[in-house]
Amino acid sequence: MSTTPTRPTYTLPVGPLHVALEEPMYFDIQVEGETVRGVELAAGHVHRGMEALAMQRNYFQNITLTERVCSLCSNSHPETYCMAVENLSGILVPERAQHLRVIADEVKRIASHLFNVGIMAHLTGFDSLFMHAMEIREIMQDAKEGVYGNRMNLGQCVIGGCRCDIDESSATFLLGQLELLKPQLAELYGVFERDPLICKRTKGIGILPMEEAKRYAVVGPVARASGVAYDVRRKTPYAVYADLDFEVQTDTRGDVHSRAMLRLREAVESVKIIEQCLRQMPSGPICTEDMVAVPAGEAVARSEAPRGELIYYLRSDGTDTPQRLKWRVPTYMNWEALQVMMANCQVADIALIVNSVDPCISCTER
Amino acid sequence: MNEITKQAAENAVAKVLGAGFVHWTWDANGNAFGWVKLCDPKTLRGIAPNLADAGARLMTITAYRNDKFGRMEGREIAYHFDLDGVVVTVTTCLNDAAPMVPSITPWFRNADWHEREFGELYGIAVEDHPNPRRLFLDKDLDAGILDRMIPLSTLMNGASTTTLWEKVFAGRQLPEWAKGEQN
Repeated sequence: MSTTPTRPTYTLPVGPLHVALEEPMYFDIQVEGETVRGVELAAGHVHRGMEALAMQRNYFQNITLTERVCSLCSNSHPETYCMAVENLSGILVPERAQHLRVIADEVKRIASHLFNVGIMAHLTGFDSLFMHAMEIREIMQDAKEGVYGNRMNLGQCVIGGCRCDIDESSATFLLGQLELLKPQLAELYGVFERDPLICKRTKGIGILPMEEAKRYAVVGPVARASGVAYDVRRKTPYAVYADLDFEVQTDTRGDVHSRAMLRLREAVESVKIIEQCLRQMPSGPICTEDMVAVPAGEAVARSEAPRGELIYYLRSDGTDTPQRLKWRVPTYMNWEALQVMMANCQVADIALIVNSVDPCISCTER
Repeated sequence: MNEITKQAAENAVAKVLGAGFVHWTWDANGNAFGWVKLCDPKTLRGIAPNLADAGARLMTITAYRNDKFGRMEGREIAYHFDLDGVVVTVTTCLNDAAPMVPSITPWFRNADWHEREFGELYGIAVEDHPNPRRLFLDKDLDAGILDRMIPLSTLMNGASTTTLWEKVFAGRQLPEWAKGEQN
């Protein structure tokens, strides 16, 4: 009697450092030869207890704290936190400040998306494209530095409005940066769309079908690239998104390549949004003058961060510090779907697939 | 759309609790937020499948103490769902002596991480969780350790030796507070 020999499986430890980004997440990967058969994640390497810190700080101090949850979506955190405080306190944000918040959001989104696709190029071994993407991203870094004085943490959001106005000279500078960006973004899109190396390494790998995207409740570009057309900016508009003309980008392929292309298209939409805001922003105050005490109660606020839906839950006992401040970041929802994306993939594709969810560990662990 | 979704949320809750148990608020942009309060966590087993049938998506789960400094007992858990743009928060009280909630993973696959997180950070047991491993904390640490107030002085003493105090009290009996293992 003959028996078919079975190939042994091994456990391959991947991480916790340098899986895709220089942030720690540990993967216990079962492999059979070069093929991945199972994935287990182990988190907690940079857990900082920020939610506990938030309960020790007053409502103003928490603006600074939440901006430091993550650097790439550092505007979304204080913005959504401020929205939660404003929802609970009934504070109305002046219209000009709402435009300013959208501009800051979209500037950060462009920089974040370019960073992610740049890293993808690096992981495919196409380092000159990586450097090119980062060079294009530098246009937005300069814009941030010029308008807000900082390249990462803008310090733009305050409760009831914004810190920094955009005057005529700043607006002209920002529009000039966007004019610089547009042709280079279009060129970059073409390279990512057609380059044989990029296509070979990223098309058809890390697939997340729509039904699995829904089952794992993934958010952001990961969900939209799998056909789940959910964008908080459109679904439950905040600030002035309801008045802005932009298209929610979707795809149905759900692979690494489609997620990168979707991010680049979203960056193009972000440029349009910023231009609209600069054009139609009314004059007026940039922050409310009447600051009220935060009453006892609870509130929820949501925004569309670069990586997807961000939610803040605020519970107040009427004192000057929150009774509870909880936030759930987009990446938190996307980790487990890696088990689907990595099923039967090759070991060499692991880092590319992990990067395609645009993971943020400092966000996840807080 | 908002009204249809609101009605779907009302119906999902009404099947278990009866009509009128959802309290509604709105933000400045007209986005609706529904709030439901449960006194018994077991009721979750009735409401969760109804919300899943209505197309709800679990967004996150928040555990908290009723008094954040822990001066009195009492914990609650808030489950935040999204129904096509409408946020519904279902809050349940917990038993003080043995805080426990049923897992909602049979209806919401993504509850896995959330339940493991509040389980280890707040020491709340999750009944029938399919994967009850630690999420962030090492398995050797006590559950609920981040829910406890540990003064920095205690933390520092615990991390240092008693050598200094042995020298200070040389020839005399070391007081209890200076003994490292006591701190």
